[in-house]
Amino acid sequence: MTRKRKWGTAILSVTLAASLAACGSNSNSPANEPASNNAGSGGDSKPVTLTMWGGVPGEAGPQAVVDAWNTENPGVQVKYERFVNDDAGNLKLDTALTTNQNIDLYVTYNLPVLVKRVEAGNALDLNSYGDYNIDEKMGEDAKAWKVKDSYYGMPTKKNVSFVWLNKNALDEAGLPVPPLDWNMADLQKYAKALTKEKRYGYVMDMSAYNSIFDGTNAGSGYTKADGSSNLDDPNVKKAYETLYNMQHTDKSMLALGEQLTSKLPTDAAFLKGEAAMLGAGEFVFRSANNLKDFPHDFQIAFAMIPKVSADQSNFKYPGGLGDIISINPKSENKDKAWEFLKWYADGGMKPLAAGGRIPASKDADVGAALDTLLGGNKAGYDVKSLEEVVLGKFPTFTVTLPQQVVDARREEYEKFFTKSQSIDDTMKNTAQRHNDFVKNSK
Amino acid sequence: MNWNRKQGLTGYLFILPNMIGVILFFIIPALFSLGMMFTNYKYTSPDIKFTGLDNLTRLFKDPIFYQSLENTAIFLAAVPISIALAFFVALALNQNVYLKSMLRTMYFLPYITSGVAVSFVWMLLFQPSQGIINNVLRSIGIANPPGWLSTTDTSMFAIDIIWIWFLLGYNMIIYLAALQEVPQEMLEAARIDGASRWRTVVSVIFPLVSPSTFLLLITGLISSMKTFGMIQAVTQGGPGNSTTILSMYVYQNAFRYYEMGYASAISWVLFAIIFIITMIQWVGQKKWVHY
Repeated sequence: MTRKRKWGTAILSVTLAASLAACGSNSNSPANEPASNNAGSGGDSKPVTLTMWGGVPGEAGPQAVVDAWNTENPGVQVKYERFVNDDAGNLKLDTALTTNQNIDLYVTYNLPVLVKRVEAGNALDLNSYGDYNIDEKMGEDAKAWKVKDSYYGMPTKKNVSFVWLNKNALDEAGLPVPPLDWNMADLQKYAKALTKEKRYGYVMDMSAYNSIFDGTNAGSGYTKADGSSNLDDPNVKKAYETLYNMQHTDKSMLALGEQLTSKLPTDAAFLKGEAAMLGAGEFVFRSANNLKDFPHDFQIAFAMIPKVSADQSNFKYPGGLGDIISINPKSENKDKAWEFLKWYADGGMKPLAAGGRIPASKDADVGAALDTLLGGNKAGYDVKSLEEVVLGKFPTFTVTLPQQVVDARREEYEKFFTKSQSIDDTMKNTAQRHNDFVKNSK
Repeated sequence: MNWNRKQGLTGYLFILPNMIGVILFFIIPALFSLGMMFTNYKYTSPDIKFTGLDNLTRLFKDPIFYQSLENTAIFLAAVPISIALAFFVALALNQNVYLKSMLRTMYFLPYITSGVAVSFVWMLLFQPSQGIINNVLRSIGIANPPGWLSTTDTSMFAIDIIWIWFLLGYNMIIYLAALQEVPQEMLEAARIDGASRWRTVVSVIFPLVSPSTFLLLITGLISSMKTFGMIQAVTQGGPGNSTTILSMYVYQNAFRYYEMGYASAISWVLFAIIFIITMIQWVGQKKWVHY
């Protein structure tokens, strides 16, 4: 027994150590050298150090952002720490916040998590500063991030979800870049036409699955007039069925079950030419601009996420704003953190554009960000569709469903797409679990 | 202080470092979670309300809880299967076979490799369209091989296969040690009495190694019930919730939804189940374990 336990402990500790090491490996990216140009300033003020936690690896932009700030502001040095934006990583951040581990600023990526942090008293009400009008700067979409009618975090980037197209494959099949208001029937047709041996017509990132369903529900409402769940909206059902047919009848789309078990990196599949179209978002730019690791010689064009049916007038597009930066109310340097945050939002974040993060602020230079975004690879993109889709203005939404319901919906549609539950049961169970959740959380 | 007391005190001093650890990191948290079970405590939320048995009533009405209970039962089936396999492998390796030590090492290897890394290899093997397993099945004429991890009907069995393989090496090592202890004269006596090989195994060897079987059964069931990493790495409980076992459901509620109260309730139910199963075995062992 003891032997078993010892082995168990040894293995556990090794795995733990390994996973912790993996989590931490990025957080210790090169320490900032103290700014060298503070020789002239008087020796009386010691530089303040702010710590910022974010989910983007330091080398993918944030380090360049804080380096730029640190050079300009020798008195206020910012240190960037990376956390992995998953359950374990967010838990780590929440623990650090509640136990007061000197975090001054941190980034939140979805609304339910932000609400939790506000309830826990871990986010400063930014409306207490009168000198920066978030509504005016960030536009209409910012409102979705208000909690208790106030901003407890500043949305800083534009979220864009769209379909990546292999333009060469489209040309080969004689298909034009699809119009902005295309629908799922068109998508199915395109996917079928683009499928050939060793190439799927369409592959969808796991995050994009939800976008289509959320787009419908954001328009028609997550609940019906009587307060019961609307997750069984007929258009959602139709979207499920179309995707099912693409996966199992046309075989023009990678089946969900297979995607889950192979943990397929969808961006790599698209860039390697194994998929002609990819439903994803701006985060793929990080790979698409990296011609060394993801060499590809085709031009990339863009299409909107398709709405479900042609006559659907209230479909909303996944998007809105993202990267919500909050200030820790327990920070000793709240005002300094605020100064940094304003600078960051109004253009300081530009180096992040290389990874697809386009500033949301109207005062930021979007053109310059776009240049960074395209890297040295302008010819690799179809600029017309890029401008229409990536920079276009559409009715958008931010996901407001609680995590539990998002997960319940996913579990139910996974059963459907892996053929172990009928469409009607899927719709029924999804709505049922949504209703149960609402009842339980009262 | 007399000699006996002194001796006793020294003994306590020796176990003190370990006891401090157990109290700090095991007993106190366990009691804490027992208390949490009766509250609506959420990890980040400052207000905690006493909710009585609400968490338990919610639990017994929760379909996902029953689903994970069922999954746990299927998962536990891996333990006896693996023990039986290990017994026969150990029997074979206990004789003079070629490459004995190499084979022993091979069987034990899974146990000392990183579970997560190995799980990923299994995922590749199980891959439905290009995985080795299904390619072999197709080449021997099975047109529609199972989807393994990719469908809700087969995923739990695929997980079982990985787990059987993972436990095999350790079970085998324990059996090999036990088989060394089987007295040669008994085997000889059986042979003289005209017992067949199979009869010897069933009536002599198996009863003589039964304490090891019992040990493996208890430790195997307990550790399997607490397994988390392997399944998290392979399927994260999916597709659907077809591979969510109780320990994963606890994790999901605690660290994904921050529902600490509810998660505590599930983990105490899990504890009760482990406790009852172990008690049943403890009582049952009198019938078949021979010391």
